Amino acid sequence: MKLLRTTVAALAALAATPLTAQELTLYSGRGETLVAPIIETFTAETGIDVRVRYGGTAELAILLQEEGERSPADLFWAQDVAALGTIKPMFAQLPDETLDKVQSIYRDAEGRWIGTSGRSRLMIYSPERVEEEELPASMAELTDERFNGRLAVAPTNGSFVAHVAALRVAEGDEFTLEWLQGLAGNDPVMVSNNTAGYQAIADGEADFMLTNNYYLGRFLANDPDFPVAQALFDDGDLGNLMMTAGIGVLETSDQQEAAVAFIDFLLGDVAQQYFTGNVYEFPVSGAGIVPHAGMGVSFAQASEAAPEFDLNLIVDMEGTLDLIREAGLI
Amino acid sequence: MSVIDSIPGRRISAARVVFSALGLGIGALMLLPIWYLLLRAFQADFATVWALLTRPRTGQLLLNTAALTAGVLALSTAIALPLAWLVSRTDLPGRRVLNVLAVLPLAVPGYVMAYALIGLAGNYGFLNQTLGFTLPRPQGLWGATLALSLYTFPYLYLNLRAAFSGLDQSLEESARSLGCSPREVFIRVTLPHLMPALMAGWLVIGLYTIGDFGAVALMRFEAFSFVIYQQYTAAFDRLYAAWLALILIAIALSFVWWESRLREGASFARTGSGSGSGRRLVRLGAAGHIAGWGFAGAVVAASIGLPLAVLTFWMTRSALGPVLPALFESFGQSLSVAVPAAMLAAVMALPVAVLAVRYPSRLSTLINRLAFVGYAVPALAFALAFVFFSLQGARFLYQTHTLLITAYALSFLALALGPIRSALYQARPSVEESARALGHGPISVFARVTLPTIRPGVVAGMVLVFVIAMKELPIAFLLAPTGFRPLAITMFSRTSEGMLLEAAPYAAAIIAFSALFVGFVLRHDRRAGG
Amino acid sequence: MQELPRSLNFRMPADASPLGFRQKPAKVLLEVEGLARRFTDGDAAAVERVSFTMGEGELLALLGPSGCGKTTTLRMIGGFETPDAGTIRLRGRDITHLPPEKRGIGFVFQDYALFPHLDVLENVKFGLRGMSRAPAEARAREMLRLVGLEQLAERKPHELSGGQQQRVALARTLAVAPPLVLLDEPFSNLDAAMRVETRQEVRGLLKKAGSAAILVTHDQEEALALADRVAVMEAGRVVQIGTPDEIYRNPASRFVASFIGRSNILQGTADGMDADTPFGRLPLSRAANGAVTLAVRPEQIMLEPDPAGPAAVVGREYRGHDQLYWVQEGESCMLVISGPGAQIPVGARVRLRICDCVTPVN
Repeated sequence: MKLLRTTVAALAALAATPLTAQELTLYSGRGETLVAPIIETFTAETGIDVRVRYGGTAELAILLQEEGERSPADLFWAQDVAALGTIKPMFAQLPDETLDKVQSIYRDAEGRWIGTSGRSRLMIYSPERVEEEELPASMAELTDERFNGRLAVAPTNGSFVAHVAALRVAEGDEFTLEWLQGLAGNDPVMVSNNTAGYQAIADGEADFMLTNNYYLGRFLANDPDFPVAQALFDDGDLGNLMMTAGIGVLETSDQQEAAVAFIDFLLGDVAQQYFTGNVYEFPVSGAGIVPHAGMGVSFAQASEAAPEFDLNLIVDMEGTLDLIREAGLI
Repeated sequence: MSVIDSIPGRRISAARVVFSALGLGIGALMLLPIWYLLLRAFQADFATVWALLTRPRTGQLLLNTAALTAGVLALSTAIALPLAWLVSRTDLPGRRVLNVLAVLPLAVPGYVMAYALIGLAGNYGFLNQTLGFTLPRPQGLWGATLALSLYTFPYLYLNLRAAFSGLDQSLEESARSLGCSPREVFIRVTLPHLMPALMAGWLVIGLYTIGDFGAVALMRFEAFSFVIYQQYTAAFDRLYAAWLALILIAIALSFVWWESRLREGASFARTGSGSGSGRRLVRLGAAGHIAGWGFAGAVVAASIGLPLAVLTFWMTRSALGPVLPALFESFGQSLSVAVPAAMLAAVMALPVAVLAVRYPSRLSTLINRLAFVGYAVPALAFALAFVFFSLQGARFLYQTHTLLITAYALSFLALALGPIRSALYQARPSVEESARALGHGPISVFARVTLPTIRPGVVAGMVLVFVIAMKELPIAFLLAPTGFRPLAITMFSRTSEGMLLEAAPYAAAIIAFSALFVGFVLRHDRRAGG
Repeated sequence: MQELPRSLNFRMPADASPLGFRQKPAKVLLEVEGLARRFTDGDAAAVERVSFTMGEGELLALLGPSGCGKTTTLRMIGGFETPDAGTIRLRGRDITHLPPEKRGIGFVFQDYALFPHLDVLENVKFGLRGMSRAPAEARAREMLRLVGLEQLAERKPHELSGGQQQRVALARTLAVAPPLVLLDEPFSNLDAAMRVETRQEVRGLLKKAGSAAILVTHDQEEALALADRVAVMEAGRVVQIGTPDEIYRNPASRFVASFIGRSNILQGTADGMDADTPFGRLPLSRAANGAVTLAVRPEQIMLEPDPAGPAAVVGREYRGHDQLYWVQEGESCMLVISGPGAQIPVGARVRLRICDCVTPVN
């Protein structure tokens, strides 16, 4: 009988999940290793606890939609703007003083989400197995036969999905589907995320990957001889798309104030310096942020090569995933 | 005729009614999420479903899963059959040691084995850093086959070893005296006798393989469960995931059905009532001993040596100190689910076991079959069913510890049921009856007499569920409450991001815990007279 | 084979060997010479230099207590154990190192070893490998008819009784018409009533099939009832071989005398074909000199009521067809079997008379 009583007591204790007054629930599509330190800094500074649910950006966007009004989330921090565009109807309007902290290209036109850090799409490759002249001038070339068996692709990665969504806006669905099918036809190594893609090239499994710039810095910080290099496509090519990670406050959150405080913190100098210096991204606000050097493509190079593109046009994640699925990549 | 086969004029005891109600409740709980999975799957219009299911990719997934299952069954048999023979039928020196070594790989779950294989190769891999050369990264079909076989073969080994001990050697000698060569004897007599053990082992391994998510995901092999996860997490439409899960459940249930059909159709029991003849061991000779240990050594090196070496390598490359707080937190989170899940599973198993042992009827058979549903249904599909159930039927449970614990308890109910049921079989009803004669009611007797008697079985069942839940991956992945980062998820996430160094302490903790499980299996095995 | 005369005063010729090689069968089937096997791990009985021959169609029983090496001997003949020394010849051919399947010797195991995954007919057909389907089936059915089980051909072994299983095992072995069948404790799994019935059946079947057989048993009654000749084994050696009658009436040693039937043991002083004993001067079945131990069968002793007799009845067991008496005379207590007629009460004074020749067994 004692056994039964213990069991019941333990179950009851666990069923009642602890609730404290100042606690934010964050759905983070950004990886734990990238953002956990800055979230801890926020808690240390404000005393507000943040419970984080880590997951894929698309996964969490879907989750938010399934949960609808009953979502426990206060904030959704996404790797890419496509997911933010999808969840936009669920986001609350952000206050102007927050929105004003960044340039208009880094935020939603209606002010429902805001960029937290910038990054560039580009090409990574193996300097050991790739000659300079082999590097493609445009992302459209990736369907060429010469890349057969040499590409890595992370088809479920949020940035990849957003990039494909941008391609749809720029070139239309027909072209995009062909391009995706061309990628699939090149028998790429399927990786689960960008880190794994960098690793795959270092390990000799693949020679090229279309990915985000900032991962290289982390690898180089651990190992200056890390055998992966970066290259931009020709100036203005969509392959060099400059994107942001971004965040919004759920309309259903009953802690709007604390949630906005979290966003303000992310746009403050401490966090921006962290993103720039530790995560090797590009800052979206603040002054006197010290850029990193020698960790791959610089902010200046990336800005110069970036195409003109309005990130607000990237909204249809669902349709984009359908195309990726239709091409057989997932 | 009612399901409870009552005899006219005879009172049905209150205890029986209570236990039957509890058992039916547990059976219903088991089916409820699956019902929601069906509901969700059939929400779609036929054309969409048809388009999804007839995608060439679905066929490719079936082929991939079939190839993986066949590969794992073949490789694990190729490992387990000779090992079981060496240990139980030859004079190989050190057979007892080998017996332990052959079960030990159970301590290295498939995803940890995959981690070890991945950590072996690559730029920062064990081989490149210590010996200066790289192997191609194990991946795809052969990578997944290797990782799963090296982990699952002990299930087959345990079954085969028991079958070898149960095989009356005079059967084989009879066949020899009737003119069969040793090879013919193996095919015509030994193999048919080993079939039930092979099938039982294959069933366990087959169910494990089609349900495995960690190893196939790390090996990037597009088997069913990996793609279900991918569709669930990355694609908008959950419909495809639901349908893939249904197909997976159908495959699993067909495995179970075939196994039971084949077993019913054949009789393998030893017939003679005599003692049989004593154990006679095959004398291998010196060359045979070298060959035997060569084989055994290769298996042990690959299944235990490799993970330990790779893990040690990664562990020694960074200081453990800074990681410890996070590790302990993760460990605590694993405990916070595994402990209540173990207790809940035992509580659920009790009425089911009591029904089976004390009140056998068609109803109790039905309830006992239902208790195995959670075990047979692949974990990822089961978890997905719980997601749909909580989203549509019980929103208040969604993403709670309660739901995760319940899912664990139902999924591992069969594991808890085994020891509890055998303990009940050993507890004599006459003891309970004398308590009744001394004036105690049935509930009082259960609490004061039955429960204390079967306590070792209950504890054994709880330990089994506990250690399994500590290392479980797919259910935790889909049902994890926000902020829940147990050992398995942390280790898997880091490995899949290529952060092998950061994953190492978690992998080590999982192995240490699983070693407890193995110790338990070995102890149980010895007690069963293996 | 020549039946030995059963006269009361029969004396064995003085030159007769106690090991019974006196009369070799006309046609030798099996010759076992100096067979030895030692085990280091000690879980099987050792065999030390066992030799015997047997003729075509002969039924030989290997009789001895458990651990005497009889099963090991049988397994060496069958090819399941490799002898350390010695040779085995079947019809003149050395088969010592042949694998079991090349010997053409049938083996019926103690537990019958029917294949549980095959039905009765398939079991019987198992060894008929050279034959095509139809003749094999016909042969198997014929064998089943022979053992009286043709109606059970489609049953699985576990659906049969012990006696039926044994007959199937025998049919399976005899189907391949082996010149020699080895039977290891074939009746030990049957109950007492079945045993008596079955052993005559088995004997009949073997004789009908014309197969010779070696039967291993620890039951002397079984050996005496079934076999043409009996080889008694003790501690890895054959201590006596002969017809049941020879073995019973002329045990070669005290061990044989007490293991086969019951014997009273007397001390005496021998002098050629006679010996002085506490019961007077008695004729011996074979010559001896000096101090001897003598075996006297209980039925060789006559019991006469005599109020002045030197002995007293101390115990009695009435068994219907006969009676057992325990009689105390001086130091020794003798067992006496007499007919069911006259009944002598416990306590009565009696006189004992030995009415046959006695056997020196030291």
